[in-house]
Amino acid sequence: MSTTATRVIVTGEKPSRRSLFRRSRPEHVNRPGQRQRVVKETLAGYGFLIPWLVGFFGLTLIPMAYSLYLSFTKYNIFTPPQWIGFDNYIRMFTSDPAFVQSAQITLIYVLVGTPITLAAALGVAMLLNYRDKGAGFFRSAFYAPSLIGGSVSVAIVWRAMFANDGPVDNSLSAIGIDLGGWIGNPALVLPAMILLAIWQFGATMVIFLAGLKQIPKELYEAAEMDGAGPWHRFRAVTLPMLSPVIFFNLLLGLIGAFQVFSSAYIISNGTGGPAGMTNFITLYLYKRGFSDGQMGYAAAIAWVLLIVVAVIAFILFRTQRSWVHYAGDNR
Amino acid sequence: MFSKKRALAGAAIAAGAALVLAGCAGGGDGNPDAAPTFDPNEEVTLDLAFWGNDVRAELYNEAIAAFNEEYPNITVNSTFLTFPEFWEKRQTEAAGKNLPDVMQFDYSYLRQYSENGLLLDLDPYLGNIIETDPLPENILDIGVVNDTTYGITTSTNAWGLFTNPVLLEQAGVEEFEGGSWEDYTDWMGEVTDGAGGAFWGGGDYTGRIQNFELQLRSEGKNLFDEDGTPGFDEERLTEFWESGAPIREDGIGIPQQRVEEVAPKGAFDSALTASELTWDNFGAGYLAGLGESYTELGLIAPPVTEEGAKDLYLKPSMLHTISANTEHPEAAATLVNFLVNSPQSGEIFGTNRGLPASETALDAAELDPLSQQVKDYEASIADRLGDAPPVPIVGYGTLEEKFRQLGTELNFGTVTVDDAVTQFFAEMDVVLNQ
Repeated sequence: MSTTATRVIVTGEKPSRRSLFRRSRPEHVNRPGQRQRVVKETLAGYGFLIPWLVGFFGLTLIPMAYSLYLSFTKYNIFTPPQWIGFDNYIRMFTSDPAFVQSAQITLIYVLVGTPITLAAALGVAMLLNYRDKGAGFFRSAFYAPSLIGGSVSVAIVWRAMFANDGPVDNSLSAIGIDLGGWIGNPALVLPAMILLAIWQFGATMVIFLAGLKQIPKELYEAAEMDGAGPWHRFRAVTLPMLSPVIFFNLLLGLIGAFQVFSSAYIISNGTGGPAGMTNFITLYLYKRGFSDGQMGYAAAIAWVLLIVVAVIAFILFRTQRSWVHYAGDNR
Repeated sequence: MFSKKRALAGAAIAAGAALVLAGCAGGGDGNPDAAPTFDPNEEVTLDLAFWGNDVRAELYNEAIAAFNEEYPNITVNSTFLTFPEFWEKRQTEAAGKNLPDVMQFDYSYLRQYSENGLLLDLDPYLGNIIETDPLPENILDIGVVNDTTYGITTSTNAWGLFTNPVLLEQAGVEEFEGGSWEDYTDWMGEVTDGAGGAFWGGGDYTGRIQNFELQLRSEGKNLFDEDGTPGFDEERLTEFWESGAPIREDGIGIPQQRVEEVAPKGAFDSALTASELTWDNFGAGYLAGLGESYTELGLIAPPVTEEGAKDLYLKPSMLHTISANTEHPEAAATLVNFLVNSPQSGEIFGTNRGLPASETALDAAELDPLSQQVKDYEASIADRLGDAPPVPIVGYGTLEEKFRQLGTELNFGTVTVDDAVTQFFAEMDVVLNQ
């Protein structure tokens, strides 16, 4: 429908209308007036779609394609990109220890941080779901950190809290654990970053809470009648009924964790230090692109990141068959 | 509409006449026939970008106001950012050929921007719109890349050794009296001992590429030549980094963890070290960071690698450049001249941008004790000052940062000297073949 319609507009050709519309004409269109109306509606439809289409092509698809092209080039912003084939990708895995370290710490951050965040969010969501008294207050209190979570101010506060002589250091010293500051210590700064991620579980928690509210009370009552204890009720009712929400949160959590940037930027003053331990992939590619003028290399890193995230998402989708239960699902 | 056109035509004729007159007068160096002139009646708007903070922004506002008293027809819109953000913004603007008309500029980017045709060739404006008499020849030469002047130096600085008199007194150690790098290390050790754990004598100086450069210059070499050839091999860099081992391993220097924790402040301005090798115009920032209990700092020459070598040099602390795409090169040149040479700018900026390079600006500047100290320091090292090295290679900033990062890793002990050397050469390989 669309192609024929636009062809009329664009070329101004006047082929016989009958032949023009024959192929794509829906069965029910048989009167000439109705046919015109369908064309008009289609055009209007595309007219309304134009803003989105422009955005999609101009801001998403074309830049993505261009960045894919750039990832095969040497591009310093100033001189035109120069095709170098797979050199950027080869360099990444063979002669750039900073990239390897960056990939490692990002993976650790994702694999350790995400499950703990989910568990914490689910735990608190269940507590809040258990009783309604004061729930509104606690819900807001737990949600607040994630509202301001990505913000610069929180990272600055975190930096101060975990610094030498900061509240965390001082309270640990008081009970005899003398670790010194976490922020300047290569061994402790990653745990501090993971704690920051876990602390921002509010958004995940709210979604869990909504999921928990959806579980019919009757199921719990029935399980209780059958003599199921709290742990068994959790295993047999809560987890399966909540599995679509868990799946959703897990997917979003993983993707979000791979893209950690602002907190690392602030905590390390943009350096990725100490000793590269906060040099997460996104921070590393940003520095490569914008400070070092190695845009081609930065684009290649971005594509590796995209592929890794895509593969993980794909695997998750494949495994959901075995553990995610949708209502009305007969599997 | 018609009248505006006529006005423009009139302006053009006036400009043409002025051009002819300038030609007749035969003023200026270069080609007198093509000497550009500035039409004082044309309404012009210029964008000016600089890096700095609120304090500097206020000074720029004052300078622009003073400029407008003389040139009311030139509107100057200024913007400022912090140093790293400033360059990130310029990179993207450069990609879109959309740079501001007039920019405060850093030496390490001069080659990259000029070789890519992003900066205006200033030679036609030298000696006419941009006065050259107050600027010594060696200062003018700093802004020259491939025989063309692209930047005018606003101010200069040199490498120096700052010391903290208050901490030295606490440690009961005399001021470093000069000597070799080993002497300096020993002296740092004495201070660290005297401090009893409260502070340290200094840090691992091998983390800074400038200290390496100083040693190389004593050997008659440069870090990098004009064409990007390094003046050192893996062996030389290994030797340099290993020379810092006593500082890192014997507890002489401040532990890296403490340095990371006080960032973005430095160890020296956090009163954690009693000495620091850096550019001599950092003093004001250090005093501000140290707080009110400090009124003075020591500023002496860095350790000597070889007696009598010309290892130090004057570097531009910043330059002014003009975008190649500016629509008003004459007006932009007029502004640059004002910002660099005018007594008003000397009076307003003082040493905020470093010790003024222009004699007219320097004469008008009121020097506070610290600035006077910098001036005296630069005079005191006159016999150690050699020619400035070639304008930094493209990607120098990246290598400087990589050097610094590897230095911090050496201090953390997360990398060995051999690995660090391998990594630095791998990085160099990428940067130099860009």
